[in-house]
Amino acid sequence: MSDFSFEEEDFNSQFNGKTLLRILAQLKPHWQWTAGFTVAVTIVSIMEALFTYLGKLLVDTAIVPHDSSAVAQILITFAGLAAIQLINVFIFITLAGALGQRVEYDLRKTMFDHMQDLSLTYFDKTPLGWIMSRVTSDSERIAELITWGLLDVIWGLINIVTSAFFMLLINWQLALIVFVAVPILLVVAVWFQKKILVEYRLVRKLNSKITGSFAENITGVRVVKALSREDENLREFSGLAVDMYTASFRAAWLSALFLPAVQIISAFAVGAVVWYGGAQVSIGGITIGGIQAFVGYITFMMWPIQDLARVYAEMQHSIASAERIFSMIDTEPEIVNRPVAIDPGTIRGDIEFDHVDFYYKADQPVLRDFNLTIKAGETIALVGPTGGGKSTIVNLLCRFYEPKAGMIRITGRDYMDLTLHSIQSRIGIVLQTPRLFSGTIRENIRYGRLDATDQEIEDAAKLVGAHEFIAAFKKDYGEEVGEGGVLLSVGQKQLISLARAVLAQPEVFIMDEATSSVDTLTEALIQQGMEKLMEGRTSVIIAHRLSTIKRADRIIVIEGGRISEMGTHAELLRARGHYYRLYTRQFRQELEAEYSPFEAVGEGQAV
Amino acid sequence: MTATTVPVTTPAYGPKDAVAENRWVGLWRIMQGYRFTYLGALVSISISAIARMTTFLLLGDLVDRVLAQGHPESSVLVTFALGFVVLAAFEGSFTYLGNRMAAYSAEHITLRLRTLLFDHLQRLSFMYHGKAKTGDLIQRVSSDVDALRRVFSEQAIGIGRLMLPFIINFIAILALNWQLGLISVLMIPLIMLTSVYFFKKISSRYESFQEQEAVLSTTLQENLAGVRVVKAFARQEYEKAKFEKENKEKYRRGKALVQMHAYFWPTTDSMAWIQMLIGWGVGSSLAINGTISVGTFLAYSALLTQIVWPIRNVGRLIVQLSMGLVSYHRVAEIFREDVEPLTEGAYTPTGDVRGEFNFDHVGFTYEEDAQVLHDITFHCEPGQIVAMLGSTGSGKTSLVNLLPRFYDYTSGSLTLDGVDLNSYPRGFLRQQIGIVEQEPFLFSRTIRENICYGAGREVTDAEVEAAAQAAAVHDVVLSFPNGYNTLVGEKGVTLSGGQKQRVALARTLLKNPRILILDDSTSSVDTETEGAIREALEQLMKNRTTFIIAHRVQSVMIADVILVMDKGRIVQKGTHDELLAQEGIYRQIYNLQSRIEDELEKELSSVGL
Repeated sequence: MSDFSFEEEDFNSQFNGKTLLRILAQLKPHWQWTAGFTVAVTIVSIMEALFTYLGKLLVDTAIVPHDSSAVAQILITFAGLAAIQLINVFIFITLAGALGQRVEYDLRKTMFDHMQDLSLTYFDKTPLGWIMSRVTSDSERIAELITWGLLDVIWGLINIVTSAFFMLLINWQLALIVFVAVPILLVVAVWFQKKILVEYRLVRKLNSKITGSFAENITGVRVVKALSREDENLREFSGLAVDMYTASFRAAWLSALFLPAVQIISAFAVGAVVWYGGAQVSIGGITIGGIQAFVGYITFMMWPIQDLARVYAEMQHSIASAERIFSMIDTEPEIVNRPVAIDPGTIRGDIEFDHVDFYYKADQPVLRDFNLTIKAGETIALVGPTGGGKSTIVNLLCRFYEPKAGMIRITGRDYMDLTLHSIQSRIGIVLQTPRLFSGTIRENIRYGRLDATDQEIEDAAKLVGAHEFIAAFKKDYGEEVGEGGVLLSVGQKQLISLARAVLAQPEVFIMDEATSSVDTLTEALIQQGMEKLMEGRTSVIIAHRLSTIKRADRIIVIEGGRISEMGTHAELLRARGHYYRLYTRQFRQELEAEYSPFEAVGEGQAV
Repeated sequence: MTATTVPVTTPAYGPKDAVAENRWVGLWRIMQGYRFTYLGALVSISISAIARMTTFLLLGDLVDRVLAQGHPESSVLVTFALGFVVLAAFEGSFTYLGNRMAAYSAEHITLRLRTLLFDHLQRLSFMYHGKAKTGDLIQRVSSDVDALRRVFSEQAIGIGRLMLPFIINFIAILALNWQLGLISVLMIPLIMLTSVYFFKKISSRYESFQEQEAVLSTTLQENLAGVRVVKAFARQEYEKAKFEKENKEKYRRGKALVQMHAYFWPTTDSMAWIQMLIGWGVGSSLAINGTISVGTFLAYSALLTQIVWPIRNVGRLIVQLSMGLVSYHRVAEIFREDVEPLTEGAYTPTGDVRGEFNFDHVGFTYEEDAQVLHDITFHCEPGQIVAMLGSTGSGKTSLVNLLPRFYDYTSGSLTLDGVDLNSYPRGFLRQQIGIVEQEPFLFSRTIRENICYGAGREVTDAEVEAAAQAAAVHDVVLSFPNGYNTLVGEKGVTLSGGQKQRVALARTLLKNPRILILDDSTSSVDTETEGAIREALEQLMKNRTTFIIAHRVQSVMIADVILVMDKGRIVQKGTHDELLAQEGIYRQIYNLQSRIEDELEKELSSVGL
């Protein structure tokens, strides 16, 4: 249940200036937007400070001296400044929002495009869920940091600076008293935010465990019932749910504690203003409006600090996210074109494995000193036990991997001297578990050759015998296959992937035959489709069906990374070796299935 | 309020207590037991709002009584200063208390919901799980439960946090000057309506944004899963273009979403500004003509800010709350389903069963329209082996599913030890029956835990190993670096089909059931292990009534009763010898072996062997 229980690893990287700079560099291509929203936020923030000052003026110069015209004047100024502020609010939300989406878009694009060039080794080592998280949540977190996070920082800093400025302007001694509270608040805020963040991460982790637990109990409900495990499972789950409760509740009350803490610290500042400022009023050190303004500025100064603390706490995680993203972007593809690589125009010709060594892990050799020459136009059947190296041979041939030692020659040239595209675009491959993409049947077949006409697609489908079942669909070729092709049966998916390969008109055909059983009719269609594909092409088949094996020009038995037997069907049977045993066993199994007197009813309702 | 005292499920509150036709009533019922705490939260929020309001009044008072008089005494100022600090302490404490109580209720309600859901789901019938979609269920127990949690922890309490201070501050303004009070709320209805209007739009844009996010994830996921196909067809550029299209669309929708926010805030802000200016204008003139004091004006000015600005959020809360109600409905739907009782039964068994089954014209209809089993009649003595032979869909699995009452037969009569099977409590039957499936489900736990999974008692390590040895899996387990503590699945080892089956065998051995159901499929297992499994199975079958779902003649030959099934009916019945003597499918299958050998002979001779 990897989809449900994929756990985020703990990353708590230290502050890293280099990474931070690289994150900020994401803004560079969009510097106009960045500049625009910075200016807008600055204006909005300054306006807020001005409003408070205007409030002071309203009291001091209009209300206290009973001057009605001054009231009108001040209120009109208010309205004017408010209009300016509204425009700037509109601008910064628009720009920061668009910028955030854009940075995310850029990061996703960069990662995705880079991934297309990475070699299979990377995907062997890296779980799918890990990559998914980088592209989805990590890119979001970075975009969040350099737009809304940056915005909070600018806003907060300007609020603090302007508040300080006006406070100093109104009464500098009083201002200095208030400033004492700032560092205290900063320390408290950072402490809280860090604690809260840790708690929320724990909550997220537990949450994914809970979902995983649900998922497993639902998918395994038969076993649970059969083994009467309900009570025990409930007990276990309750433990987990209580842990979740404890963590969530703790996170919630920690957050709830933070706000009052800020309020109380601010209140001490207000108290100081009242105490010290009150005495100043009578000697003209400060006005009534001034006192009021001070109370307002204290809020303006204190509240941004909690935002700054939050951004600071989150920044550490964003940096960790960025490091993961950059590590992926910086990964060099292992298999690349050599500078002098050429496109030979065709790869028809002999294929030679010349003393090839290969391993996925250095201490576990898969192929050792492997030699094989495949003649142009020849059909080769690879047989042998799982893990013997059959798939590796095919992977090397497709240059999904490259030999660790030795050489593979195509038409006499080391294939490393050819471009990847020149090889891979001329090889047609049908995998054991056919992979389709969301979309229609037509789109999936067209994957083989993008400029194919609808007629050509239909012809390809007819050639492999897929047309009949496709035509039976309500929307025939326009039928949706569902995510990964879930709406089709395995046999149907195979036929479509055969049609896809036919359409590509490959020079070399590679197929990994499916082991899973499909119904007899589909089986026959697949056989027929394969034969069409093999006609006149060099073909390498990882074969499981006797009929396929028998019609091969040469059968190669692979065991333990070496060729243990090689020859035609008749030759190998006469040798009475591995092939003989494999063949007779399979023969019995196939006939048993074929002669079964039971009418195949299909899967039906499996109750 | 400590975690250790958290009650898990209480008999006092069951799944049905959470169900109601009306969603609001439903929310109310879910709150059972935490309503007073929630009320306490609202009271605390009100107290905190009153403290805040008092702060502003105190400021007005300070101005009028002290500052405007000149030469204030230091002691008076200290009193006022302390007043502010005390009020802030009050406000802060009650804010904290209110939020804590709200969180306490919300998290407790969620804990109870989760636990109830977990238990309810595992007790729902096979029929239910056969129809339910796993993905949909997971969605309901995760995101919908979380949405419900947020209703209590954020939205419901959020509306309280918004409206209670509004009411309190409004009353305070009215008390200062009632005309001033009335003109202070002129724009409020408009602001609220605008807010709701915009948030409906925002939420629909958000949904469309999320849909695109799902599309983009699928595109990415398919690309990663199909990386070989992409490379094989050298379709990198095509894939980039495909991703680019969806990526751009997400960017576009994201921008459109933010754009709505960009329209929303200035629009409601301008209304709020109009309200502020009206208030200040009227307030100032009242202050100038002496109707109110300067201090009152200051207090009013601050209170006005408190009622105008926060009200813009009302739309967000209402829209989110209405979405939370949809989630309630989806969760309640699960609770509406009836569980299958495990302990109920007309018959109370006193000890283990003997294992004598009598099927008399038993039929089973699945969901009214589909009759799966017809007219099943046979008898087996305790300890006998019953083997069923037939194709997929012939009814073998349906037949054995009747035994532990996963499904109840619908016609005829079926007795165990002479007592109607449906009189036995389900839980008891399931304890008496062990099942080894063809592809057994193992849990993401250690191998030891998987083996002990169904034992229902404390099991010693020696017992686990003995069971594993008997199931011929001990050596395999020891070959893993962590032995019996090796995790199975994703994060641990991937076991082969045969290994899984043997772990399941060990699991069943520990359970030590009186009746055994074996799905005998050794075709996926290689030859060396086949012998080992067969031996383990024979060991297991001794002295137990055994039902074998067979695919090949070899595995049914030892059976006391062989049932050849087709399309839900028994087409042949008897022992191996009896069936062999008859004309029919069984003999055909049996003869197949020699026919196959003949053909093989022919095949080999064609190459000169």
